[in-house]
Amino acid sequence: MILFALMLIPLVFAMLVVISPAAQAKTIATVGSFVSLAGAIYAAMQFDPASAATFQLAKTVDWIPQLGISLSVGVDSIALLLVLLTALLGPICVIASYTAITQRLRTYYAWLLVLQAAMTGVFCARDLLVFYTCFEFTLVPMFILISLYGSTNRKRASIKFFLYTFTGSVIALAGLVYIAYQHTQLTPGSPWTFDISTLAETARSLPLATQSWLLLALMAGFAVKIPLFPVHTWLPLAHTEAPTAGSVVLAGVLLKLGTYAVYRFVLPFVPQAVVEYAPLLAILCIIGIIYGGLICWVQTDVKKLVAYSSVAHLGFCMLGMFALNNTGISGSILYMINHGLSTGALFLLIGMVYERYHTRSMKELGGLGAKMPVWSTFMVFFVMASVGLPGLNGFVSEFMCMMGAFQASDAWGSGIWGSLGHRPIGATAGNLGPWFGIIAGTGVIIAAMYLLYMTGNVVWGKLKLPDHGHDHAHGTDDHASKLPTDLSTREISILVPLAALCILLGVYPKPILSLIEQPVQETVLVVNESGRVNMPVKPIESDTKPHAPIADAPAEPAARVVSAENAQ
Amino acid sequence: MNVTTLTTLAQANFPEAMSQITLAHYLVISTAMFTIGLVGFLTRRNLIIMFLCTELMFQAAGIAMIAFGRYHLDLSGQSFVVFVLTVAAAEAAMALALVVLLFRRKESLSAEEWKDLQG
Amino acid sequence: MMQALNIFSSIAAHAVASEPAAGVAQAATRTITQGETWMLAIPFLPLLAFVLIALCAAFKVRSKLPAFITVGLLALSFGAALTTFIQHFMGPAAAPILHVHAFDWLHFKAGPEAAQGFVANFAFYIDSLTILWMLFVTGLATLIALYASEYMSHDVGPGYCRFFAAFSLFVFSMSCLVMADNLVLLFLGWEGVGLCSYLLIGYFYKKAPAVAAAKKAFIMNRIGDLGLLMGIFSIYTAFGTVEYAKIFEFFRSGVDATGNQIGSSTWITIIIPLLFTIGAFGKSAQVFLYTWLPDAMEGPTPVSALIHAATMVTAGVFLIARMMPLYQADPNLLILSIVAWSGAITALWSATIEMAIFDIKRVMGYSTISQLGFMFAGLGVLTPEGSAFHVFTHAFFKATLFLGVGAVMHGFGGQLDLRRLSGVGWMKGFGLVAAAVFIGSINLAGFPFTAGFFSKDMILAEAFARPEGQIAGSQAVAWILLITAGMTAYYTFRSFFRVYVGPKQFVPGDDAELVDLGRHPKGVSLDAWHKEHGHGHGHGHEHEHNDHAHRHGSYGGVGDARAHGRQDFDPSTEEFDPHPPGFAMKFAIAACAILTIAAAGLYFVSPAIGEGGGWAAGMVRQSSAVVSAEVLSGHTSGTDEGHAHGTFLGMDPHHVMYYVSAGVGFIGVLIAAFLHGPKGWQGLFLGVRQSCDVAPRADKLANAFGPLTTAARNKYYVDEIYDALITRPLWVLSHIFHLFDQYVVDGLVNLIGALPRFFGKALRPIQSGEMHGYAVGMAGGVAVLLILVVLLVG
Repeated sequence: MILFALMLIPLVFAMLVVISPAAQAKTIATVGSFVSLAGAIYAAMQFDPASAATFQLAKTVDWIPQLGISLSVGVDSIALLLVLLTALLGPICVIASYTAITQRLRTYYAWLLVLQAAMTGVFCARDLLVFYTCFEFTLVPMFILISLYGSTNRKRASIKFFLYTFTGSVIALAGLVYIAYQHTQLTPGSPWTFDISTLAETARSLPLATQSWLLLALMAGFAVKIPLFPVHTWLPLAHTEAPTAGSVVLAGVLLKLGTYAVYRFVLPFVPQAVVEYAPLLAILCIIGIIYGGLICWVQTDVKKLVAYSSVAHLGFCMLGMFALNNTGISGSILYMINHGLSTGALFLLIGMVYERYHTRSMKELGGLGAKMPVWSTFMVFFVMASVGLPGLNGFVSEFMCMMGAFQASDAWGSGIWGSLGHRPIGATAGNLGPWFGIIAGTGVIIAAMYLLYMTGNVVWGKLKLPDHGHDHAHGTDDHASKLPTDLSTREISILVPLAALCILLGVYPKPILSLIEQPVQETVLVVNESGRVNMPVKPIESDTKPHAPIADAPAEPAARVVSAENAQ
Repeated sequence: MNVTTLTTLAQANFPEAMSQITLAHYLVISTAMFTIGLVGFLTRRNLIIMFLCTELMFQAAGIAMIAFGRYHLDLSGQSFVVFVLTVAAAEAAMALALVVLLFRRKESLSAEEWKDLQG
Repeated sequence: MMQALNIFSSIAAHAVASEPAAGVAQAATRTITQGETWMLAIPFLPLLAFVLIALCAAFKVRSKLPAFITVGLLALSFGAALTTFIQHFMGPAAAPILHVHAFDWLHFKAGPEAAQGFVANFAFYIDSLTILWMLFVTGLATLIALYASEYMSHDVGPGYCRFFAAFSLFVFSMSCLVMADNLVLLFLGWEGVGLCSYLLIGYFYKKAPAVAAAKKAFIMNRIGDLGLLMGIFSIYTAFGTVEYAKIFEFFRSGVDATGNQIGSSTWITIIIPLLFTIGAFGKSAQVFLYTWLPDAMEGPTPVSALIHAATMVTAGVFLIARMMPLYQADPNLLILSIVAWSGAITALWSATIEMAIFDIKRVMGYSTISQLGFMFAGLGVLTPEGSAFHVFTHAFFKATLFLGVGAVMHGFGGQLDLRRLSGVGWMKGFGLVAAAVFIGSINLAGFPFTAGFFSKDMILAEAFARPEGQIAGSQAVAWILLITAGMTAYYTFRSFFRVYVGPKQFVPGDDAELVDLGRHPKGVSLDAWHKEHGHGHGHGHEHEHNDHAHRHGSYGGVGDARAHGRQDFDPSTEEFDPHPPGFAMKFAIAACAILTIAAAGLYFVSPAIGEGGGWAAGMVRQSSAVVSAEVLSGHTSGTDEGHAHGTFLGMDPHHVMYYVSAGVGFIGVLIAAFLHGPKGWQGLFLGVRQSCDVAPRADKLANAFGPLTTAARNKYYVDEIYDALITRPLWVLSHIFHLFDQYVVDGLVNLIGALPRFFGKALRPIQSGEMHGYAVGMAGGVAVLLILVVLLVG
């Protein structure tokens, strides 16, 4: 029931915002987002981490019983984490908009809350059509937020955003409905159903050729959302034109709808096709990493730079996913959260400067370190989190994604990478391998290049401010003057929780890693069992050759390590 | 009452000369009127003339209908035409009123003045 | 003289390390014991300092409090390291490995099978190699923080907080790097020191070169880091663990987790060490990845002293020493040969640059690269003992030299050009600085009985002593190193003879780093100045010349006197007063100099294990870094007999190297005196230099070399070549990608989006809006239909 409540709370508060006077909109929205956050935390407390792979807090209500469609919700630990991320970004977005939004307040805050409800719905859904409805419904509030509150080119950006992602999702819907249809065909006499777990089993039993078409259809929808190269071009435009809170939600949660959908619908639904095409998909990810990164490097618009960096970052995220092993998928899931935190924060920071100087161009802005030391400190901090500095959150997930790709190769044990003649203990089944890890790794260098290029221009160097004072076309002039030179307490208070989480997840990721361990393990087993039918997983051979006669050499040291650690 | 007696009754009231006029004559008239109406409609630009042309086509259709009704000894054709005439009268009233309004807008009766619906 | 030679002989006899010691075998069987929790203070006290300083910044502290916090907590950290050393590592031959667990860090399943777990904790592995490093890292950091408390005093306030926060964070990161019990935590430290280096190089963030240098350092380091990261992945894939203790266990037993011989896998013996070596090259500025270090001299001098000379840049040496078992696994020692060659080439390469350039700080920067080359060569020729000892001694003498340079910069308004400074040692308040620099210089030059002499000799002797064919071309490496040693002596004393002795003349600098004030430069001959003005020099000091005429009357008249801590400054003063260092700086310089002298004594402490090499060598032999007896004697190739030792012109290098290197060093110093020494006794009666900017013989010689000198002064255009070969093409490629993205990828999308609109446009004229058009269409349509009906029915 709590999950329904999580979806309803923002909706109820959205209603309240609409019927109250505009002056109250901020307050009501703030309260609403905090109540949602509290609800999400309450839900997390109800969640039993011991069985993290099962869908808990589940509830099913009939919706269209004739077609087997029901309002069915439930979360495993991965969905729960994303629900928490959504709930956390809620209040931050609302508070960040206090001064940035000055007109049509009720519309703005109401849609922001509706957006939150829809996003929560995506993560909670256990029914395909509930998922799809929420997935598509996120477009409407976002469209309105961009087209009404965006900057100069907002009309075009919002239409492109809507049509592009919508077109993709419709194809994905066709794929999903096809699976439901196949279900009725393959199990004679069974009624229509859209239950995710049931359909996953059906889809897995389809032949490779069918699965491949389904993969294409599903990825058509989800890859646009993620976005993977080459269907990413809506993102820089939408990000650049969206209001700050819109960018934060877009980077923080909306992109994760795509990655989450891949995890939930592609991996367990069409494992055979995923295994078959994993190298191809991984190559797309790597192109995204390098290509997106290099494009960042020549941007002059700070916001566009960070937007393109999302293409590169999510390339890493999906590379881990398509490694199809525990390391990669766990890393990918962690990446979703980490990217939401650090890139969200970068957008907030850019928004704060934009509010003050009405420009995002590095030609006009520079050396803000001298004028805005607090802002600069946060900027450098989140840049470092984004670069993947160890000790901060980005590192853990980037490390795992790359390592996942690195490990995942059936070729380990032969050729240059493993003249041992057998599969080494750290390798997993898969068809990526070290080259994928290494080439993706160059993305780490490129990330340092473009992010430090940005920092070097915006934070360091000689102070440079736009000479034209205020952009009078913009409606927030009078408010800009009210803002202090450096960050206000309100602005600091929304950055501090993000920074704290960045440190916490970087220094002590263990709880989250162990929380997602079970569901990931299940996914990996599903992929290995029904995805690698033609290439069964080689087990780790132990004791194939006699040990060297050394008395105290451990028999199976690595195995011992794990068990010892687990015992702790 | 069988069909033959009905036919006889119906034909009995016509004068001799008239009875020489066959269905084909009616249809020729009807076609001619319709064609005049159509050509007029397509070639003239004056709204009133065009309206009159539509009325002409209407009546052509009515004549054809009556002729056929008579030919088939079916009264529903005639009754239709009575309705059509009534509707046409109402339509004429409405249409002329509209034409007057349109004339007041542009001080012209040319149909070419009105092409706001172009794509 | 005879007496001296006798002493030499006795040392030589004492220090022979021709055969591996018996204790080496013992070292391998040491067990891991639980360390005390208080040892966590070594890394975490600097972290605490960082947190406290961050709070200072938040509460806008405008005093020297951050410096006091740093110095105090770093001193405590040093105390903890020292206590650990005294309690566990003093004396016993079988030193323990202490393991201290702080908290769990990365724990995840790395594969579906039960055995595939990934564990990397925040835990520390303290063996004698670690403690050797930690002693000088924390010790020097404390002294340099003290020095910086005065050096940075012009910037008390937010800048001061920023400096010391990054400084403390650096020490924490370095501690993690050195003390980590697994490779991932090492990587955390590795990148952490990179970050701090970035923040501190870019400390003067309003100066464009500083920002560029910081960026360059971070990015070039990242190239190496990628190698290291891939090495870590490979290690995990091969062994299923990243923890040293377990990895070393595999190497000791010679088989991997599934029972295969490690030595037979080219992947483990070649590729993994190669990846680690790339990482080490990046951090330690070797071969093709060195260009960031000279630029890093843009940072404040204390930073250069600590990070870019003494500690961070030795991380590469530490990494290879730490992973020595991995490097030894290859029977052919291929990668170690590569390491030896890269080290030697880097040493020679940068030494030639040093001899030509005029910026005394850059000279020190290149000198660091050169000395790191020595250390790498030492590792390559199987003497981690010599390398580690050289790291240790180099840390102290190079820190001394940098602190001396810092004092000069501090005193002369950031002047770094050795042609603008002369006789500094005779100026009021700079005597101590000159003395300390002299001590540092004789160490760097390899004067007999100095610490630098002994440590360099260990490397040289071992390089000559390598048997034929064990390390490919080790004789050539040795000769390169020997020549470089002579060049080192020359460039070191070139700076010394130019800057610290001779006639008292100077031109103050006007570096933004230290805004110093003054009017007319005192004591410099203006004729010489004008003559100088006519020459070109590639030093970034051009701006001085451009507005020379302007400066003439009102040189450096801008700035804030208080910013420099000179309350007694009177703007009407006509003359520039060199600003001698105060107590904190003097104390730190003196302490470093004394420690440099004392470090020589360590060579005579008999090692805990084995013979020769002194205390540091013993420490290395007690750790996993030791080269195993089989490898050292070349037994691994299967033959019973080891190879014959290499020789130095037929003599045992362990005996003669002392004399040879001392001789080479002397020749270098004498050449320096001849070319750059001032007239009279200060130039050893060889020199003829009479003003600060003209050294007739040196200038003549430089002109004689012509284009070579120019090339060396421009650092052989390596930066320009990199720019042309890598940066520019990449930049162009990025623009191409950007355009491609806009016009092709997005263009395709827009094209698809435009299709419906296109069709609409094509069909639009049909909707003319004219009633007659529609009527004709309708009539025509009806006609067509009728014809069709007629045709079909008929």
